[in-house]
Amino acid sequence: MATTISKNVQLAKALPARLLTFLARYPPAAILPDGATPETHKTAYQEETPNPFLPTKHPVTGRWHNPKYSLRRQAELVKMAREHHVEELLPFTPKGTEERLRKRVELGLRVKGTGVGQKVKGHKHERQLQAKMEKRREAMLKMPELIRQYRSMPRWKFTKTFKFPK
Amino acid sequence: MAKKAKSRIISVRLISMAMTGYFYTFTRPRTRMPMSMIKYDPIVRRRVLFLEQKRSGKK
Repeated sequence: MATTISKNVQLAKALPARLLTFLARYPPAAILPDGATPETHKTAYQEETPNPFLPTKHPVTGRWHNPKYSLRRQAELVKMAREHHVEELLPFTPKGTEERLRKRVELGLRVKGTGVGQKVKGHKHERQLQAKMEKRREAMLKMPELIRQYRSMPRWKFTKTFKFPK
Repeated sequence: MAKKAKSRIISVRLISMAMTGYFYTFTRPRTRMPMSMIKYDPIVRRRVLFLEQKRSGKK
């Protein structure tokens, strides 16, 4: 109890002011005083927007409101928190490390096809290259025999009997 | 309209049998039999058999 509180105080002294302000306005359940349930122990800011990092739908008008913190400011907070190893104290944000990693896995490098289980489509000639080279290789393997046949008979006979590949 | 007279000489494509798509173009009298020869294919860098392309449908 007391140790956790003193630890929190220690932590608070080490954090930058911006992060402290944020945590004071939106305290996570982890740093609430003992006996306080997150449901009852809410700051006015939290009453208004449980997660200031996400857009909210107004309950009456049904209009969507932008997040209280812009994506840029979210990213700055996350960066600060990460540097002080307290990222888990922030509410869910699309700028969080885990979410970013998840997105990276899902989408890859934003280059189509580099994600998990995806393939780079490539140009048509690139996709057909293997088959083309295989066809060419086979044709070249048959070439000496073909030329031998060609030379063994009159040309008119050869061209007549030969079946054009394709 | 009167049909255009067919020319006596036609140009033909001799296609590489190495399946490289490389071809030579020659002219020959229409009535002659199809051409064929062994010539150099720069894609496989070898002398290979070249045969005249099959005539496509009409024309």
